[in-house]
Amino acid sequence: MLMPGPSRRRPRPKKYRQIAHTADIAYRIEGGNLAEIYINAAHALVATMTDRRRLRIKETRDIEVEAPDREALLVSWLNYLLYLYDVDGFLGRFFVILELSEERLQARARGEIFDPDRHLGKTAVKAATYHHLALVPRNHGWQATVIFDL
Amino acid sequence: MPPPGPLPGIPNRTPMAVKLRQVDEFRWEVPREGKMRTRGLVYASREMIPKIQEDRSLEQVANVATLPGIVGASLAMPDIHWGYGFPIGGVAAFDLDEGVVSPGGVGYDINCGVRLLRTNLEKPQLTCCVDELVNALFANIPSGVGSRRKDLKLTMPTLKEVLRSGAAWAVKNGYGEASDLEHIEARGTIEGADPDLVSQFAMDRGKDQLGTLGSGNHFVEVGFVDEIFDEPLARALGLFKDQVTIIVHTGSRGLGHQVCDDYLKVMLKATAKYGIELPDRQLCCAPLRSPEGRQYLAAMAAAANFAFANRQMITHWVRESFEQVFKIGPRDLGLELIYDVAHNIAKIETHQVNGKSMKLAVHRKGATRAFPPGHPETPSAYKQTGQPVLIPGDMGRYSYVLVGTQKALEETFGSTCHGAGREMSRAQATKAARGRNIVGEMLQKGIIVRGAGRGTIAEEISEAYKDVENVVNVAHGAGISKKVAKLRPVGVIKG
Repeated sequence: MLMPGPSRRRPRPKKYRQIAHTADIAYRIEGGNLAEIYINAAHALVATMTDRRRLRIKETRDIEVEAPDREALLVSWLNYLLYLYDVDGFLGRFFVILELSEERLQARARGEIFDPDRHLGKTAVKAATYHHLALVPRNHGWQATVIFDL
Repeated sequence: MPPPGPLPGIPNRTPMAVKLRQVDEFRWEVPREGKMRTRGLVYASREMIPKIQEDRSLEQVANVATLPGIVGASLAMPDIHWGYGFPIGGVAAFDLDEGVVSPGGVGYDINCGVRLLRTNLEKPQLTCCVDELVNALFANIPSGVGSRRKDLKLTMPTLKEVLRSGAAWAVKNGYGEASDLEHIEARGTIEGADPDLVSQFAMDRGKDQLGTLGSGNHFVEVGFVDEIFDEPLARALGLFKDQVTIIVHTGSRGLGHQVCDDYLKVMLKATAKYGIELPDRQLCCAPLRSPEGRQYLAAMAAAANFAFANRQMITHWVRESFEQVFKIGPRDLGLELIYDVAHNIAKIETHQVNGKSMKLAVHRKGATRAFPPGHPETPSAYKQTGQPVLIPGDMGRYSYVLVGTQKALEETFGSTCHGAGREMSRAQATKAARGRNIVGEMLQKGIIVRGAGRGTIAEEISEAYKDVENVVNVAHGAGISKKVAKLRPVGVIKG
């Protein structure tokens, strides 16, 4: 019998992973390009708050944020998503970046309003912080570090 | 539990060596060096030092000491741990003319705080119905991700009223008694709040969150007085052995977080504008006299008032829940507010510095005000005892009631510790809790826990926290507060 050999394909890097940090939660975000970084960071944020897979596509939000540089833009973007959540409970499952520059991001989020009966409530996030915030080129792609205050 | 190993890219795990000199049993000095304008002073026992040195919090104490206009030492309480810019457990006072104000010295959860309620009930009366009580509290107080009271909709003008008047707004609108206000720090209203300096974003976030517990380490806990350390003080505070008590721990919710985030952006610009040199971007600040500094203080006051109103409304629902379950009226229940303290705030206060009376901006980030007997801001009910200080522990152990002292006023601008502080990261705690029935374990200890979030209870397991007793013993030993009583939980609702 043939045993399955080691896969030739290189495993795809995880889009985001938690890294150890007392008190709060830190994520290392990977992406092939900057747009992917912003999308994967949004996934990490939503996954901290609920089980993303149970979110249906029912509503759309158009988002536009600005910041002085691409790192601050990442914080502004994530905090805008928290704002949307606090206002009416909207959580995005899928995100599309429509326009992106160093200082401006336009995106569309599709998801639904959080329903405590149907969705898993994990941990609420107070804010994405500037602390040890990093967004740097790495292995032909990009890598970001962001810490959430819980 | 092993501490988290070093991680590339997260420098807080590879701390630089900060010099530390022991002053006495409970005091450690970070000597003035380099750009520091003053020394650092850390309250801790010898046993605590290795853990404190593991993260970068001592470096943060030194960093705060470099800020312009700092008066006295850059202080840290025994529950010091790593924070954003300022350490958690940090206290720093600034001269109003030459000093600065920094959102990082307050934190994201503006006026996160604790209030303690007393009852006429005794522990044996609880045995029948802790379960029912916890369920009633859980039903009446919105907790966790995405919950809100369906019967409460605020208009923008009403929200602005809340931001201006704080707990007084809540009382005026039927949430509690006028006498409650006497038992809240600053009577539940920080003066100078300007709702027009709070962004629309912040107000949108706060509109539906008034009267909600939130998530994370926030809770409502029903417990009892387990031990009394000072009988006359306890009696004066209205506490007796085996008495049923309630602790409420929450803050300004999304509104406060947004105010912090908004003003961090303002301060990043202001720091450059006023040529302030900073060792860490998260310390960004503005001169207290500048428009940016004043605006932040006015917006912070508004968020602080939201938090006072929030705890006041939750108190009202705690009272309703007790009345429902025990089927007795408010008079027999005697569910009264002992005190409400803020532990994330910057306040303008008058202190004696080198024999001179000075107005200062005192930042307390994860630190509690602890004013002595007879202080003008200590409420009249506590003129003889000193201001009550409430130190919550983790959900499986105990909490403490202390009072402020003259020594605190002289040494720490009237400040003391605020809680236990985490020992494990949330990820570690979740790992440690995997495969265990935490709710069942707590039940075996005689504590009923209900949490809205599946993750929260695992992250908040007892062993994830330091033992609050050690923290309190240092504060007591150093004389910056005085132990009155120890409380034990029997029922907890977590966000």
